[in-house]
Amino acid sequence: MIKEAIAAFVGLAGGLSVGGGFVAFLSVLGIVPRLTQLTKTVNKISYYEWAIVLGALFGCLISLWKVTYSFFPAFLIPIGLMYGIFIGMLAAALTEVTNVLPILAKRIGVDDQIVWLLMAIVIGKVAGSLFHWMYFARL
Amino acid sequence: MFRMTDSYWIEKNNQNGPYYEQKQTDRSGSGKTMEKTIYIRMRNKLQCPELQKLLLKDLAQIIAPEPYLNTLQNLPIYQIRKEDKNFIIIDVIKVIDQVLKVFPQADVQTIGPAQTIVEVIYKKKKASPLLFISVWLLLFIGAAFTIMNFHEDVSMGKVHRELYRIITGKEDQNPLIFQIPYSLGLGVGMILFFNHVFQKRINEEPSPLEVEMFNYQQDLDQYMIVHENKESMKELKDD
Repeated sequence: MIKEAIAAFVGLAGGLSVGGGFVAFLSVLGIVPRLTQLTKTVNKISYYEWAIVLGALFGCLISLWKVTYSFFPAFLIPIGLMYGIFIGMLAAALTEVTNVLPILAKRIGVDDQIVWLLMAIVIGKVAGSLFHWMYFARL
Repeated sequence: MFRMTDSYWIEKNNQNGPYYEQKQTDRSGSGKTMEKTIYIRMRNKLQCPELQKLLLKDLAQIIAPEPYLNTLQNLPIYQIRKEDKNFIIIDVIKVIDQVLKVFPQADVQTIGPAQTIVEVIYKKKKASPLLFISVWLLLFIGAAFTIMNFHEDVSMGKVHRELYRIITGKEDQNPLIFQIPYSLGLGVGMILFFNHVFQKRINEEPSPLEVEMFNYQQDLDQYMIVHENKESMKELKDD
């Protein structure tokens, strides 16, 4: 009984730090502010916070609770798309945080064509990802 | 912000007594000097062709009494020379110096930046397309393989298979129906984060990349202000 209590406490502590880290990571990258800026819904930001918290909990739930559903595979298309958009925003935010693009653009003197450098990364990510799933992962 | 008035008054009124009193009486009283007040606001940045003669109106915005205005605007401040290379910092103190040479009685007030960064544009260098293409390819290939590394690193394939199994109840080693939308979404998400086109239509807020460019430029300018301006750092040698 005591052992279980300790295990539960350790689990809770671990969850707390991982949850804190997750939220800290998201705040540093500034994805939620960016989305609210794009959609002009700054006043809804508390709902977005809850969406993230509930999403994380839901993820825990389905990965721990071994239940399977029998949805039609096409159901996965919108999920995959949103999954990708989220990861894409993460990747973009990381690229932005590391400050590479402005410096690179300035160095090679294409400040005005920075969008093309950006497109190089975007197209590269999409191509790399497609290559990975359609060829590399099947090897 | 540098205010000329105070030090100007020290010089002017030294013989007449304590300067604080003088200043006080001037502020409340005569208004004689007020007519000669010249307000100068240095521009942040100026781009100009090589060997240009810089006039005050190029370097600053000016408010001055009508009779002086024209002379002031066309007051030469600096002649760009070959050895100046491409950045020159014109400090407001130099400008005030020149103004006082012409109008010794003037009360010069400065507002805003204490210096102007002059960028001399030599023949507008066109970035070589070859360099651009190689950088483009570098970013493209780098992005492609880092995303693959990322997928492997976080065992995303395993997660995809597991998700496919949970949702459809079927096994599929390569759930492409999930993975292809994911890959396309990846691009959409990045564009969404950085987007100019879509966003400019809605409001004038800059995109994160534009803010980042701006910050970087500010840092560069700040560096220039300190390092290119010989007057900003001084070493006193004891001999």
